[in-house]
Amino acid sequence: MINQIGLAVIFLNKILSTLFKKGISREDFFEQTLKVTQQSFLTVTMAGFFVGAIMTIQFALQLKEYAALAYLGGLATSGTLRELGPLLIAFMLSGKVGAFTAAELGTMKVTEQMDAIRCLGADPFKEIIAPRFLGIIVASLFLLLFGIGMSVFGGLLMANIFAQINADQYVRHIPTIVKLSSIISGFFKVFWFSFCLGWIATFLGYSTTGGAKGVGLSVVNTAVATMVVIVIVDWITTTLFNSVLSMLAF
Amino acid sequence: MIRFVELSKSFGSRTILNKISFEVRTGEILFILGTSGTGKSVLLKNLVGLLRPDSGQIWVDDQEISRYSEEQYLSIRRQIGMVFQQPALFDSLTVFENVAFGLRRLEKLLPDELSKRVIESLQLVHLHQLENRYPNELSYGQQKRVSIARTLALKPKVLLFDEPTTGLDPVTTTTVNELIFELSQKLKTTSIVVSHDMKCAIDIAHRIIVLDKGHIVDQGTPDELKKSEQELVKEFLREVLQTSQSAPTKEKLP
Ligand SMILES: Nc1ncnc2c1ncn2[C@@H]1O[C@H](COP(=O)(O)OP(=O)(O)OP(=O)(O)O)[C@@H](O)[C@H]1O
Ligand SMILES: [Mg+2]
Repeated sequence: MINQIGLAVIFLNKILSTLFKKGISREDFFEQTLKVTQQSFLTVTMAGFFVGAIMTIQFALQLKEYAALAYLGGLATSGTLRELGPLLIAFMLSGKVGAFTAAELGTMKVTEQMDAIRCLGADPFKEIIAPRFLGIIVASLFLLLFGIGMSVFGGLLMANIFAQINADQYVRHIPTIVKLSSIISGFFKVFWFSFCLGWIATFLGYSTTGGAKGVGLSVVNTAVATMVVIVIVDWITTTLFNSVLSMLAF
Repeated sequence: MIRFVELSKSFGSRTILNKISFEVRTGEILFILGTSGTGKSVLLKNLVGLLRPDSGQIWVDDQEISRYSEEQYLSIRRQIGMVFQQPALFDSLTVFENVAFGLRRLEKLLPDELSKRVIESLQLVHLHQLENRYPNELSYGQQKRVSIARTLALKPKVLLFDEPTTGLDPVTTTTVNELIFELSQKLKTTSIVVSHDMKCAIDIAHRIIVLDKGHIVDQGTPDELKKSEQELVKEFLREVLQTSQSAPTKEKLP
């Protein structure tokens, strides 16, 4: 375990130094970003829609008691942006993109394609690993945007049906409650979640040994490890963010 | 000339290669025989720096290369081409692009020079009609030949073949063995061939090394090995006699 973490840190260092020192080709980066976005677009937008809907219904029940339904849109959106959106997107991606990346790299490893790449004068970190890592991060930020957009839409629809609040009223108080800090918090989280996701998936994929069975194992390990790490990182970022915020605000 | 000196390699607590020493002479065809799992692939991968030995030395001409950095190994990998045990083709690239992969990265060629080299290499393995196919549209034997073409395209001085004929039909096997022989005759290419196939070793090898459990149990010319007292070598030879007596269609397991 400790050994694995050490290896993972060395691996990350290699990715980062590849990204910052050698750079990667623009085509590779776009290709990977597009691939991740396409793979998860539907799931993330669907999830976004329903999360927005659920949040709105839940908030509507409680806000009604205080006659504060005007703030429904603001609260639901803020909650989605700060917490549920990033977490849900990270979980979706870990099941889909994380598993896919680990399987892809694992297969390349056990079928000696990685060896062949090195023997043919190419650098797997530059051409395969770093573009996937960066692609996952950038695509996740996009996906958060889409997901949040859909969640506002879903919430708006529910508010209309269950609380007789029209779109205009729903949206009006979003800017009052959704502050810059909510937006930063959401993107900050998604960045670190996808950072860990990309790191773990490429690391476990690239360290695969032992044939088809080994690939299966890497996929399962990636799914489990990313979920656990994401929840831990969520706790860390939330705590960190709130203490930074309370230090700044007075 | 290539020389291994007391090369050792372990994975965890399992010792795979145990102080192996031998040399490969320029221009010769050297066969390395051994049962499955004795570390033949590991040995070849140490030579091109895909794996690093725990101890010992690897000399190429008068350079000790085993502690080279990944960048330094690039020059070694231009001279020493490796054909892997599995086809190891890139699924998302066509046959043409697979063969061009190394050329694009290691040599600056004009587009028509590049395609000439690719087609030439595919012709060597009798596959020049298939350059626009994708690997999953090819049979296993065809994939394996594409992978040989991909390595040949770089015109390396030394060729490493990791079981080039395992899983191929008898006709293709003969083609590949003839190719190895011709390359050594015409271009004076040095070849190290890892194999289970004693028969073809006897046919085309200049020398044979037999590995078992991390040690070299015997080595010599084919004629010398035929007189060997080693049990494993005799076992391999018995198989040759049997296959030549029984039906030639008998397939060996990989
Ligand atoms: N990267 C690795 N990590 C851990 N163990 C490995 C690794 N590569 C090879 N091994 C182990 O080393 C041993 C020798 O493997 P190797 O592939 O060299 O065998 P081989 O002689 O080529 O056999 P075969 O004829 O089946 O290809 C095997 O037991 C294998 O499991
Ligand atoms: Mg092998």
